[in-house]
Amino acid sequence: MTERISGGTSRLDTVLGGGLPRNAICLVIGQPGSGKTIFAQQCVYVNARADRPAVYLSTVSEPLEKILRFGQYLTFFDRSAVGSRVIYDDLGTVLGDRGLDGVLDRIRGLIQERRPSIMVIDSFKAMRAYAADDGEFRKFLHNLTGMVSAFPVTSLWVGEYEASEIGSAPEFAVADAILAFGSSHAAERTTRSLEVLKLRGGNSLSGRHAYRISPDGIAVYPRLADVAGETPYVLEQERRSSGVAALDDMLSDGYWPGASTLIAGPTGAGKTLMGLHFIFGGSRDGEPGLIATLQEHPTQLERIAQGFGWSLEDDNVTLMYRSPVDLYVDEWVYQLLDTAEDVGAKRVLIDSLGDLQAASADVTRFREYVYSLLHRCSRRGVSVMMTHEVLDLYGLTRLTEYGASHLADNVVLLQYAGFDKASISRTVTVLKTRASTHDPHVREFQITPKGIVLNARP
Amino acid sequence: MNLRAEDYDLPMDAGNPGDRPVYSIGAVSKMLGIRPATLRTWQERYGVVVPERSEGGHRLYTRDQVQQLRFLMDQVAAGLSPADGHRVLEERIAAGLPVQSAGTSGADTLLILLAERDPFAADFAEYFLRTEGYDVALVLSVEDAIATTASAGPHLAVIDLLISGGRGLELCRQLSKHESVPVLAISSLEMREQALSAGASAFLRKPVEALQLVSAVQDLLGRSAFLRRDDRRAEHRDEAKA
Repeated sequence: MTERISGGTSRLDTVLGGGLPRNAICLVIGQPGSGKTIFAQQCVYVNARADRPAVYLSTVSEPLEKILRFGQYLTFFDRSAVGSRVIYDDLGTVLGDRGLDGVLDRIRGLIQERRPSIMVIDSFKAMRAYAADDGEFRKFLHNLTGMVSAFPVTSLWVGEYEASEIGSAPEFAVADAILAFGSSHAAERTTRSLEVLKLRGGNSLSGRHAYRISPDGIAVYPRLADVAGETPYVLEQERRSSGVAALDDMLSDGYWPGASTLIAGPTGAGKTLMGLHFIFGGSRDGEPGLIATLQEHPTQLERIAQGFGWSLEDDNVTLMYRSPVDLYVDEWVYQLLDTAEDVGAKRVLIDSLGDLQAASADVTRFREYVYSLLHRCSRRGVSVMMTHEVLDLYGLTRLTEYGASHLADNVVLLQYAGFDKASISRTVTVLKTRASTHDPHVREFQITPKGIVLNARP
Repeated sequence: MNLRAEDYDLPMDAGNPGDRPVYSIGAVSKMLGIRPATLRTWQERYGVVVPERSEGGHRLYTRDQVQQLRFLMDQVAAGLSPADGHRVLEERIAAGLPVQSAGTSGADTLLILLAERDPFAADFAEYFLRTEGYDVALVLSVEDAIATTASAGPHLAVIDLLISGGRGLELCRQLSKHESVPVLAISSLEMREQALSAGASAFLRKPVEALQLVSAVQDLLGRSAFLRRDDRRAEHRDEAKA
């Protein structure tokens, strides 16, 4: 693999398979407002050094004045570096006066004088208008490519290219890496996504990866799409309590550590309560737990927990609340994984899977997403419980539309059994346990001040 | 954003020649005027200046190590025993003090033969060498390189191993063994072992950074180049007298 330089964040580098290829030509494409210039500046400030500075060249698209005026509000922008570590210059004037030959002379001079390690041309596409015809532009491109390949400098050529130009514009053929910043729209939501279209001399993560723009720069969330890892991992051999003693019996003495359990049922059946049993039961046994809820607000959840003698103030319990409104699932999942690692969580409750699915672009993608999340947790020995609401109040024809029941190790179904003397009875059924046996019977249960209590067997 | 380049397990800078072992024991011997056997003995006996080994077993010294050896020679020349010289050097390194020799040389219109196949790379290399005060004879083929060597007598040759369809190794052998011209080999491909075996004094991977190129040339020319130049002047004087 070729040597790499950082693109600014470790997750961005993960997408790039280790970073941008050093001493290569990287084409950065996207529509106006997609964050290309911010990305280029991010690369510049991360990599520039006094002895090997970065050179940032504007052309005739965005004036240098504006790049600097807005750039200074980015947190990584370092005013003290301007003029020493980071050199800003304008090619617009020489382009207007002497055309593309003038640009070549200017760049040659900058390499000789400044000896840069990274050189940005923003916008590269704007220079094409200064060639009389395709032949002249290709000649310019050949000379520029030869020049920047003869000196150890990483080039970022930024341009507002359309996807349709990839097959025709010669820049795409000479580029060693192509990064496309784009966005998609669905239900009046805009989701930004980064895709590596080409990367010579190494691998990158395929597909589109969500990103957000903030004053801190470009934050990328690599698409969670883990293939089954080949490296072995060890899981503990002692089963863990579900938090409900009678249910532990049905599950043949609880769960395997690192297992995933889907709790499915209609509204009000006790799914969240089952999840709280799982978390607070773990806390009682010394296993830190993380509640990742998209349902109840922390205040509401605290009230529910207190109703059963628990509290979110528990030292072993961490709450991660996020409204399902305008939720970005890729950002959310990294927050979940980071928080779980930070607090050393051994149990995670996701309440609910349906909220995540609603924010996801498509069913196939969501299935991969859940698989990857469960796989990562399992390898870390973190047990996961996911709630999922089914629509049918009575009877059931299917559990989920995205195969979560297939992905989960255990599936527990909560149902309403029917009305009896104006009261409603609930049942629990263990539909599936992976790598263990279980009680196949349908058991009635009640929700009491002590939580879920199974009725005695008839 | 809170990550910087140094947070990554990535090479900090391909152009930092001080970090890279590039000089063969023969090249160091010529640079410093010490016999290779002495260098090996010092390494085994004192273990202070220990070169890395290439995959093929060649000793490869870094620039810092060459500088340390120069410092050692100064100490020995000043009357210290090699053992004491090594002790002084070890103490300076441990204390983080600079290790400098009093006699580090610079350029003085020495002629560099630059045998390059890529006109863009040739353009930059010629510029960087000339700005350091060297004369440069630029050639773009093996035949021109041999002819220029015969006519101009360069003090050092920088050879792109892929010149003339890959005949750079042949040129290395010719110049280093038959013409006694020290060779700095460069190539886009990793050809270190072949270059060293063909008689090159050092090898650098392209694209070569300016400081890296100039530093390598300075090191390879070093004192021995001045001696060679003075020897040549003496030869010319003798020829003129004759």
